[in-house]
Amino acid sequence: MIEPLTDVVPSFFAMLNQGPLTLTIFLHTIIILPMFWIYKQEKKRLEEQK
Amino acid sequence: MLNSIKTNHFEGNASKELGMMYFRVAIILFGAQLLMGLIAAIQFLVPGFLFELFDFSIARMVHINALVVWMLYAMIGATYFLLPDETDVEPIGIGLGKLGFWVLTAAVTVVVLVFIFVQVGAGTEASIWLITEGREYIEAPRWADIGIVVVVLIFYFNVFATFIKSSKKTGIMTVMIANLLALAGLYLAGMFYTDNISMDQFWWWWVIHLWVEATWEVFVGTLAAFALIKLIGAKREVVEMWLWIEVLMLFGSGILGMGHHYFWIGTPEYWWEIGALFSALEPVPLIAMFVHVLYDWGKEQGIAKAKGETGSVITNGPAMAWIVLNAFGNFLGAGIWGFFHTLPQVNIYTHGTQFTAAHGHLSFFGAYATILIGMMYIGVQGAYGAKRMKMNFNSKMGIFLTAFGVMGMTVALTIAGYEQVLVERAELGATWNAFFVAQNLPWYVQGQMWRAIMGVVTLIGFIYLAVDLLTIGKKAQAEEA
Amino acid sequence: MANENLSVWTSIPFWRRSAAWVTGFASILLIWLTFDTLGQISMGNDADLKAGTTKRVPGPTVINYKITYEMSKKRGHEVPVIGEKEAFFGKSDYSEKEARALLHLGKLTSQAKNCMDCHTLLGNGAYYAPDLTKAWIDPAWSKTGPMMAMTGKSTREEAMAEFLMHPSTYPTHARMMPELGITAEEAKGLVAFLKHMSSIDTNGFPRNFGKEEGSTNAQ
Repeated sequence: MIEPLTDVVPSFFAMLNQGPLTLTIFLHTIIILPMFWIYKQEKKRLEEQK
Repeated sequence: MLNSIKTNHFEGNASKELGMMYFRVAIILFGAQLLMGLIAAIQFLVPGFLFELFDFSIARMVHINALVVWMLYAMIGATYFLLPDETDVEPIGIGLGKLGFWVLTAAVTVVVLVFIFVQVGAGTEASIWLITEGREYIEAPRWADIGIVVVVLIFYFNVFATFIKSSKKTGIMTVMIANLLALAGLYLAGMFYTDNISMDQFWWWWVIHLWVEATWEVFVGTLAAFALIKLIGAKREVVEMWLWIEVLMLFGSGILGMGHHYFWIGTPEYWWEIGALFSALEPVPLIAMFVHVLYDWGKEQGIAKAKGETGSVITNGPAMAWIVLNAFGNFLGAGIWGFFHTLPQVNIYTHGTQFTAAHGHLSFFGAYATILIGMMYIGVQGAYGAKRMKMNFNSKMGIFLTAFGVMGMTVALTIAGYEQVLVERAELGATWNAFFVAQNLPWYVQGQMWRAIMGVVTLIGFIYLAVDLLTIGKKAQAEEA
Repeated sequence: MANENLSVWTSIPFWRRSAAWVTGFASILLIWLTFDTLGQISMGNDADLKAGTTKRVPGPTVINYKITYEMSKKRGHEVPVIGEKEAFFGKSDYSEKEARALLHLGKLTSQAKNCMDCHTLLGNGAYYAPDLTKAWIDPAWSKTGPMMAMTGKSTREEAMAEFLMHPSTYPTHARMMPELGITAEEAKGLVAFLKHMSSIDTNGFPRNFGKEEGSTNAQ
């Protein structure tokens, strides 16, 4: 499942590079995910305000 | 006409006056930028032109440095201009700010004179400190770097102290304070010397990229928000909500979008992926900004119509025209032309060709020049206390010819770049000889010819623009009296 | 009225907090990536070269070795290959200190003479003159190229140095390089700087770089 490293120098980011766009999709996901939590909190706050 | 320069005063509002002082130097440097660009464009066609007297490298260096400096001047000017409006207090330390203005202007003058008359130095540290750092866009010698930092600190103190003093904390000012700190701080990343060219370019991009593809873009967002409230009476809640969305998307894509400069400078392979997808998303906020400007305009006009009012909601025609042009030009120049060559699969062939020059011309104009000129028109309107300012013949010629000229240069350079990619890079293998074969093919030469012609068109447009900026305020004032 | 609006999508605090999170986290990632990259692009040293350790940016003593640019099957593009010892200005045993001094002079000169406002270095700069990334291994400067004969020199480095000192004496095209007052020592430094730059692993840029025999890797 784990692909051999394609980068010359092994590093954490090189390990995430497992095929087409895996690294960048991973980074995008961890940036976006917490926004769901921020959304839920805001929703709760707005409802309480009402 | 010249008399009108002196009449730019605001009753007891030193901050706005200082803003206008910055605008005036900015427009002069804009003119200098165009003249230098014209010399460089001619040198592509007639290589003997000013050879060993005023070489391409010098014309080009002054061309791009005048660009960066006039934009920074206009940005500082715009900030001083909107500061009293956004904080509702008397800005703090403007006397010091004026001193900073004169120090900066003197420093810029000396740097330009040294660029023009001394040109190059010996291979010593002294040359880096006194003549030029020789790093594209930030060639200013180290002594000037330090001077710039000091003046920027004064500027930031003015803005920050005023913000703290004010009880009104608008979204626009909050974004401005955070963004300016990042913008100023990033300059420090370009102030060191290293023998390692990869390391050199790595940090060099921290300044260049994080300016033009992150902090400057957010700055444009704040200016657009301010201008929409000012020009068409857009609702602050709507505009500021959009501003936060823009900050989210611009920084979200722009900060890691830096990867697209790290494909080929010795940096690791993982930047291919990071640079590709993050920077591919950079156009998204630019589309959002375009939609937002047009939507608000239509909405405010509709509300006015429903109230039974006739006529336009726009209080400053030329400023609004430049800001709408900004919304579109930013998307087209930075977004579309940037996306053209941002993927590594494409960029390995386009990197370092006229493609980059094409993108550079349209994006600097579309994303920054336009909105800063719009701010200058808002400044002129304020200086003459005109309630309404309408487009006249000069304003129309100014905006049309500069936009048409820059677009023409961009298309011409894109065609030249395309030929270069196919012949020099793909076919002949990027060598010295390949470069010159590609440079001398008719399609490339024709592209350069059209670039020079369109450069002249841009310059004529600039003359109309400069005349208009000097006269429109007085005309508007006379009409209202 | 305003309180009836329950949509989070039009709530300023939601967008403000999201903007702060995304900006902050993206900045942290960039700083982390920067530390990782800085480790990988810091210059190697003489010991690395002697041991054959591959560095993305080799040490300055790389000027003692022959450098070629060859297709790597594993990586799918060309990479610089550091070969056997090769004389550079008649000498192949530059010490770490000597080589570093030469590179230092060359890099400083490249900035003081504003190379970057006509040429591109690693693809960045102006587009008025050829890219210098792999200039050292450009076939124009080889035994079969025109430049050695033109400058009357018998080695690549001497031909380059001679050209740099008097560029408009050896015009190759209507567009010429101007005299920049480059001294003999500075020219030597510049050639060392160019040779060092050609040894940097640029992930295959420029692609299909011309070979001395004239063919490319284009297929």
